[in-house]
Amino acid sequence: MSDKKLYSITALFNTPDEISKAAEVVTNEGFKKFDVNTPYPVHGLSSRMKLKPSTLGYFALALGLSGAAIALLFMYWTMSIDYPMIIGGKPFFALPAFIPVTFEVTVLLASVGTVLVMLFFFFRLPNNSHPLHDTEYMKKVSVDKFGVSIEAKDPIFDAEKVKQLFASLGAEKIEEIYYDEEEINHKHKIFEPRFIAFLFVIAIVVSGGTYFTLNKLLYMSPFNFMLDQHRINPQTKTNIFADGFAMRPPVDGTVARGTIPYLYKDDPEKAGMLLSNPLLATEENLALGQKKFNTFCSPCHGYFGAGDSRLNGQFPNPPSLHSEKLIQWQDGRIYHVIQVGQNIMPSYSKQLTENEKWAIVLYIRALQRALNAKEDDLK
Amino acid sequence: MSSDEIKIDYTKKEIPSGFSRLGFVLLIIGLILVILSFITDYNRTTQNSVIIFTFLTSISIGSLFLVALEYLAGAVWSVPFRRISEIISFIIFLIPIFALPSLLNFHGVFHWSHPEAVANDKLLQVKAPYLNETFFVIRNIVIFVIWWLFYIFLTGNSKKQDSTYDQSLTRKNIKISAVFMPFFGISLTIIAIDWLMSLEPHWFSTIFGVYYFAGTILSALACLTLMVLYLNEKGLLVKGLTKDHYYSLGALMFAFVNFWAYIAFSQFMLIWYANLPEETFWFITRWQGGWSYLSYGLIFIHFVIPYAILLPQPAKMDPFRLKLAAIIILLAHFYDLYWLSMPSFSKDVVLFSWYEIAFPILAIGLFITIFSIKSKKINLVPIGDPKIKRAMEFKL
Amino acid sequence: MSVDYTREVSVIEGNPSFSAVNELISRPLDERPDKKFYFALAITLSMLGTGAVCLGITFWFGTGVWGLNNPVGWAFDIVNFVFWVGIGHAGTLISAILFLFRQRWRTGIARFAEGMTIFAVMTAGLFPLIHTGRPWLDGYLLPYPNQHHLWVNFTSPLLWDVFAVSTYFTVSFVFWYIGLMPDFANLRDRAKSRIKKIIYSIFSLGWRHSHRHWHHYEMIYLILAGFATPLVLSVHTIVSFDFAVSILPGWHTTIFPPYFVAGAVFSGFAMVQNVLIFIRKIFNMEHIITMDTLEKMNKIMLLTGSMVGYAYGMEFFIAWYGGNPIEFFVFVNRAFGDYAWSYWVMVSCNLLFPQLFWFKKIRTNIKAMFVIGVLVNVGMWFERFVIIVTTLSRDFLPSSWGFFTPTIFDLGILIGSFGLFFTLLLLFTKTLPVVSIAEVKAVLDHAQPKHHHGE
Repeated sequence: MSDKKLYSITALFNTPDEISKAAEVVTNEGFKKFDVNTPYPVHGLSSRMKLKPSTLGYFALALGLSGAAIALLFMYWTMSIDYPMIIGGKPFFALPAFIPVTFEVTVLLASVGTVLVMLFFFFRLPNNSHPLHDTEYMKKVSVDKFGVSIEAKDPIFDAEKVKQLFASLGAEKIEEIYYDEEEINHKHKIFEPRFIAFLFVIAIVVSGGTYFTLNKLLYMSPFNFMLDQHRINPQTKTNIFADGFAMRPPVDGTVARGTIPYLYKDDPEKAGMLLSNPLLATEENLALGQKKFNTFCSPCHGYFGAGDSRLNGQFPNPPSLHSEKLIQWQDGRIYHVIQVGQNIMPSYSKQLTENEKWAIVLYIRALQRALNAKEDDLK
Repeated sequence: MSSDEIKIDYTKKEIPSGFSRLGFVLLIIGLILVILSFITDYNRTTQNSVIIFTFLTSISIGSLFLVALEYLAGAVWSVPFRRISEIISFIIFLIPIFALPSLLNFHGVFHWSHPEAVANDKLLQVKAPYLNETFFVIRNIVIFVIWWLFYIFLTGNSKKQDSTYDQSLTRKNIKISAVFMPFFGISLTIIAIDWLMSLEPHWFSTIFGVYYFAGTILSALACLTLMVLYLNEKGLLVKGLTKDHYYSLGALMFAFVNFWAYIAFSQFMLIWYANLPEETFWFITRWQGGWSYLSYGLIFIHFVIPYAILLPQPAKMDPFRLKLAAIIILLAHFYDLYWLSMPSFSKDVVLFSWYEIAFPILAIGLFITIFSIKSKKINLVPIGDPKIKRAMEFKL
Repeated sequence: MSVDYTREVSVIEGNPSFSAVNELISRPLDERPDKKFYFALAITLSMLGTGAVCLGITFWFGTGVWGLNNPVGWAFDIVNFVFWVGIGHAGTLISAILFLFRQRWRTGIARFAEGMTIFAVMTAGLFPLIHTGRPWLDGYLLPYPNQHHLWVNFTSPLLWDVFAVSTYFTVSFVFWYIGLMPDFANLRDRAKSRIKKIIYSIFSLGWRHSHRHWHHYEMIYLILAGFATPLVLSVHTIVSFDFAVSILPGWHTTIFPPYFVAGAVFSGFAMVQNVLIFIRKIFNMEHIITMDTLEKMNKIMLLTGSMVGYAYGMEFFIAWYGGNPIEFFVFVNRAFGDYAWSYWVMVSCNLLFPQLFWFKKIRTNIKAMFVIGVLVNVGMWFERFVIIVTTLSRDFLPSSWGFFTPTIFDLGILIGSFGLFFTLLLLFTKTLPVVSIAEVKAVLDHAQPKHHHGE
């Protein structure tokens, strides 16, 4: 056996009272790099070893609050911004409904996070290469003995003095612990090549499995049953109809949704007599009328209805809307022309809603009034 | 079964005279204020009496509950404090006085007592077999009488034990506590339904009894904590009480703050979610006018603030923070009862002025006076309890 | 039989030595399983197999092979889910809540109960997964960015369930694992075979019983217990929200959250008590899982059973008080309608029989308490059945009323769930220490120093 490096000197005791005393004495002697090993937590050791209170609580608080914040922000973003939907008549940010998930995420992050912080950072576990592993000392401590281990690295360590101290405390067994070969250079496992290779394998297995599942498995029985449905898909063939087409034209007499039949197609006089403008001359309606007139009517009739568009001069001239005839026409008669068209003017019924057509009529009336103003209008 | 005297370090002392005098002064001021408020606004005063009635009921019967709970659970840490809870529960005898104003003014307080209202309202007619003046009075009398009996037996045995050290008294009390519990559950629910839920007779909620129970146990714990801390500071309790003894008080208050919030949230969220007008109107009343601020305030004063104070582990053992939390919780419970009842009387307008504090001042004065009277007569610690020695050795 | 209140009741009777406790609890892990074990395993595996076959058929043909119809769209699937989640609650209650209340009698049973929680939650979790119809698409239950640009509905209690049950499983598992770490170290140090030593070493994470670690360990235990407590209450509360947020009479009632939680603890304790009666006999642990422990569990069953009874009473009273004739009809229908037999099974098993626990003689009689425990579980299963099926079978319009009959596949999957649970439990008894060795040692009479100044 080559000259091994000493890690620590350990002592075993039989009762909790003995270990309590030992812990107190060792602490008071001024040792810093030492540990007490017990099969279960013994009350009072923390204060005798002058350990500071555990700060894990703060981590739990911070992680918990983060969990709550993350959950709320996530739900806010998904439900109020990214894809808001009215569900049950509730507001997009329905806080009472978000509380349960917030609570669960808080607890999850706080518990699991604090445990991981404790294991990885406070304890630096997993670590199966500690010098104390696999020693008689550890085996005894696991069962029913209580131990103290003073490390050789401690500034005031002196092998003989330590052994004397242990003897004076009544230790049952005093043992020297040496480093095993591989323990001397223990690096944190996270960068070890085997671990990296392990991660690599996991990555390949997971991605391969996911690819297979989502792109191949889901198209096999029974997972593909819903993909193969007993219905006719668009643009396919079928035997049901003689001509073999799956898609059929609409049945005779079908009307488009929202169609309102116009009863006076061939009867402009009746249209003028029976139809009346349902819209009031409000600012809103006139604004709408103006907008639509400018869009649809002004290319031919000009912006002021004077027939002075760039089509002026071409045959047939778009007429002025300020003629005597038009001033005498009823609202319904003008509506009829927009709806059905006249001579070379096409029907605008497919481009304008009923409301918009009546608004245009209103606007035309306003234009006419503008050129035919009376004294009273100025007031 | 030893009946040996177990020596613990307790000498019977009286409450400091300054404190008793304060109690007496508050009692007188409170009495004057109450009488004035009766004269100036009879209806409003009777409505306020509902709040103080339910408040004092929760603290007193809640304290008796804590006594029974200690017996049933075999708890050791709370033994030195049990006598304080017993004294607080003495108030059960005085509460009917606070019920009188509303009983004498049924019409001003309970909407369902108006025969014209019932005649025109199908929902009130359905409830009439339960919500009628006669049955109301009878069942409340029965409940209080039975509570008085439980008080007499439980505390009587406990007091006797101070001199006899007889363990069979503990056994008897355990049996009495076991019978008390189911009765407590049912009777507390009836009180909550009668005095708080029926103020809005169209409304109902199956969890209401549990909601009132949460407030009850919280306020009883807070009152106990406050008294224990004060008395121990003045050296009136047994010597040797440590932070470890206080810890459970803090932990229980913390736990029940959470419990109250859980029950309150469940009640609110379920009614909000289903959005049925027959239930939501009750919460909407508490969201209109100035009441919305009070509703937000309730969440803060009853949950957020006590939670934040009591969350750290050391806080649950620190006398200052425990007292702070206890006071806030007692205020919060009063606030809660006010929030439960006032909106039914005053929709849209938050009524709060000297009328609302008349009864509380009287109640505090009465409480302190009772305490000082009792402290002259009985031990503030159950020195004869067989568990008392174990309790003094109690460590976390 | 008189108790001396001046004395502390020993948590572990007989004051055994540390090594005796060590040996007793670790020995079953060393020995090969005996004939009785294989016999029991055969039974549970055949139950599990039945369930697996029925599940396979369900996957292939769809959930139409169950008895579900319109209006009864939820039946055995959800009843079983709520039932198993409820059973899981006892474990966390024993581990976490009794720990916070410093009830030391939890020590002998905490490990086992937590294990039961985990297995029960695993069993429970299956049901929402399989009842979706196309279980292979269950991934959509989790919020992740997808090509449909859709998110899950965070306002739905069904989604809250996903978060709640998975959080509950994770935290319970972590809590269980933290408790197991010292025991793994113990097993590692006494392992004779090399393979076992490697496995235990890995799982122990290198735990060295260092007090500097115990110091933080005690804090994390407190933190986990402190979180697990509201968590367990929240899980069954969220399960109750599945029903209570609806507008169905009989479902929409505010008392559901505490009522469900009390019911969960009730049925969970019954199951734990039942299993422990076997465990303590088989493993000779009657001085660790003492009669006092069983008696206390029975008292808790009495308490929670009474809470459940209170909830029944309140629901019925408010159904009358509220003046809603439909709500009232629901309750009358439960007692006297098509499923009246299930209602009376529920009432007798949940209300009547547990009241026998008022009597100490019955609380301390093994056979009696076992029977009552079984009846409680039956009653609680039927409670969920009554709540779900009777309410759904009487929809708003009489033309929509329907009757539910379970099919052989419903029953097969129910049997399979018991098979899964008990198989996992049996395997647990042979691979892990059923009682926490370190915790038991800590509560032996001679475990703590006699003089310790304030901490």
